[in-house]
Amino acid sequence: MTYSRRTRAAAAVAGAASIALLAAGCAPAGGSGGSESGEQIELTITTFGTMGFEELYTQFEDENPGVKIVANNIDTGGNARTDAFTKLGAGSGLSDVVAIEEGWLGQIMEVSDQFVDLRDHGIEDRKDDWVPWKYEQATDAEGRVIGYGTDIGPEGICFNGPALEAAGLPSDREGFAEFIGGADATWESYFAAGKQYQEATGKAWYDHSGFVWNAMVNQLDEGYYTADGELNVEGNAELEERFGWLSDAVGNDLSAAQSAWDWNKGKSFVDGTFATFMCPGWMLGVMKGKIEQGGGDASTGWDFADVFPGGPANWGGSFLSVSATSKHPEEAAALASFITEPENQVTAFNAAGPFPSTVGAQEELASAGSGDEFFNGAPTGQILAARAEGVVAQFKGPQDSVIQENVFGPALQSLDRGELDGPGAWAKAIDLLNQLVEQ
Amino acid sequence: MTSTLPRPAAPATDPEAPRPPRGRTDLTFRQRLSRFDVKASPYLYISPFFLTFGLIGLFPLVYTFVVSMYDWQLLQGQGEFVGFENFANVLQDPFFWNSIFNTFSIFLLSSIPQIAVALVIAAVLDQNIKAKTFWRMSVLLPYVVAPVAVALIFSDMFGEQSGLVNNLLGLIGIDPVQWKHDTLASHFAIATMVNWRWTGYNALILLAAMQAIPRDLYESAALDGAGGVRRFFSITVPSIRPTLIFVIITATIGGLQIFAEPKLFDVTSAGGIGGFDRQFQTTVLYLWEMAFFRGNFGEAAAIAWLLFLLIVLIGLINFLLSRRIATAETRIDKKRTARRLRAHADRASQGLVGEGAGVEERGNR
Repeated sequence: MTYSRRTRAAAAVAGAASIALLAAGCAPAGGSGGSESGEQIELTITTFGTMGFEELYTQFEDENPGVKIVANNIDTGGNARTDAFTKLGAGSGLSDVVAIEEGWLGQIMEVSDQFVDLRDHGIEDRKDDWVPWKYEQATDAEGRVIGYGTDIGPEGICFNGPALEAAGLPSDREGFAEFIGGADATWESYFAAGKQYQEATGKAWYDHSGFVWNAMVNQLDEGYYTADGELNVEGNAELEERFGWLSDAVGNDLSAAQSAWDWNKGKSFVDGTFATFMCPGWMLGVMKGKIEQGGGDASTGWDFADVFPGGPANWGGSFLSVSATSKHPEEAAALASFITEPENQVTAFNAAGPFPSTVGAQEELASAGSGDEFFNGAPTGQILAARAEGVVAQFKGPQDSVIQENVFGPALQSLDRGELDGPGAWAKAIDLLNQLVEQ
Repeated sequence: MTSTLPRPAAPATDPEAPRPPRGRTDLTFRQRLSRFDVKASPYLYISPFFLTFGLIGLFPLVYTFVVSMYDWQLLQGQGEFVGFENFANVLQDPFFWNSIFNTFSIFLLSSIPQIAVALVIAAVLDQNIKAKTFWRMSVLLPYVVAPVAVALIFSDMFGEQSGLVNNLLGLIGIDPVQWKHDTLASHFAIATMVNWRWTGYNALILLAAMQAIPRDLYESAALDGAGGVRRFFSITVPSIRPTLIFVIITATIGGLQIFAEPKLFDVTSAGGIGGFDRQFQTTVLYLWEMAFFRGNFGEAAAIAWLLFLLIVLIGLINFLLSRRIATAETRIDKKRTARRLRAHADRASQGLVGEGAGVEERGNR
């Protein structure tokens, strides 16, 4: 074999490239760049869903000329959880600022030392900004505070006006709220209204049982765990009773048995597959995205009513934490604090709909009467502020999100799809619980 | 070789000269370097592979075993030493066996049609067709697409409510298939993704082997009246046997490690663990769930090791089977030779050697 000069050169390049590849594989994968001089630093932030921070990033960059923000947004909270946990396990790779969802905050709290104690960055001076329970949630057993509260998730009911109108039922916000029970709405009255709708149209009342179940559990004083952290599902009469209500509702064909977060690529919101939907504030942004994906727009007729069955409920809400591996904790904390300031929470709300967790922002939204064009002009800020009244924080145990998604999720899907009856689905949930959650 | 060793030459040229002292003190630096070069260089040249393998193959393997011996959590890290408890837990876990069933089901649904079709495609491409390169590149095209993209496109096509496949089935009056809920249907859908991606790749490897078969074999077979099918089974398949075995073994290893397709087939339910009821959760996906969803590294490491042992076991079975296949031909040859020799001896004993052979040959034509 004869080698030309060119072949040899190519071989040399290939060899060098392989070595470079090896070297690159070993290079530390740090989250933040940052230069030595400290003049121009790069802050990384990881968020999920629709949080509406983009405008605030630009504003922060303008006010802090030395800072460049590199933002990464993950599609759902579940994927953000996997992302954060994988990086925590690896011991590196977390961005400077990380958004943490309430559902998996319990697990994060078990390793709260992986995050910066924000009392060192003056969060105590801002303590009164937030509703008290939000601040409490971010405080660990030793009193360290690891998160700036962003939004909370007070729940109202979204409904499709034209669908109700077609069924000859009240289709305006006030009328609808009265129809499902008004201020004293219970799950019973909500399902009774659904039965009426179903009998008139033959269509489902809500999208799938998982979200309804979630709301039912979240509005209890104690959910899957007791207040002092004991797992409390098996033999929990309150939960079992609510599961029975759902099973009856499914028996009356009220559930559309949809796949959550997919909803047939958003089409189910548009084609009248179901008429009502559980709507925490942040869901409005998700819903808007899905309706648009499914080919709908404001004329699809979704609306937002100031009512919720069974009393006030909160679903989700997030925090911004600063990872202990951050090279610029000072600036990162400043950014997180900035984003969660009352007036900036209002900006985020106007951009994407997550309802603020600070008292000042809530008051501002409660008084501002501007309606959301997409939701038939509903004054979403005012409604959510009203829905937030009386919400109490529930203790979230370490496996809360697993129990919600992987224990009750599959059981409720089986129920929705008619594969199991109520007692069968409950038994399946208990079986999954024993498999998945160490007790 | 450049190294010159003086010793063997010395006695021949000048027996009177004093024997050179033992050792290598008389070698120059260059000579020593050169000798070192000869001895050490080959090892140096192959060392990158072994160093890399040690770093990213062997070390993780051993370390995984260490992890599997501990109670080890994703977030909290290393806990107590528990011995084989993790293995015992995994082996008693119904989800583990469910994942093994799914893996094998998807593996069989993908590998068998994949190799059969690849063989046919390769045989067709091996013919004298126009625009050869175009066709050959075309079958490789799916392989170029990243598995994640394949999974996303196919999971859309296999959508239950308004996916392309169900719409087409609806046109011919078939009820929508529950691709993401029904176990067998989901396995079929995932096998389709795997097949779409790998069939062309395997076809090209088989084609390369087919190209190496001497053309005169085909010509003489054709002259002898063997049709296309007969030539394919009697010449093509036996000739590419080693390559075929290679393809089967790589398909096996790949098939037992399917991950991206089931992971992305239904991302929305239950955190993407392979169907809300684990209908299409493969073992690797279960490993992922255990490690990164449930955060139990110890048991995840045990699953990884069990999967490793399983693949080794199946690799061994494959190896033994393929050895049988490889020797089958020689055995048949031997039998045939023995039979002919016996016939020859029989005829020889009857004094018909020369003529008989001639008659037989004529008779064959």
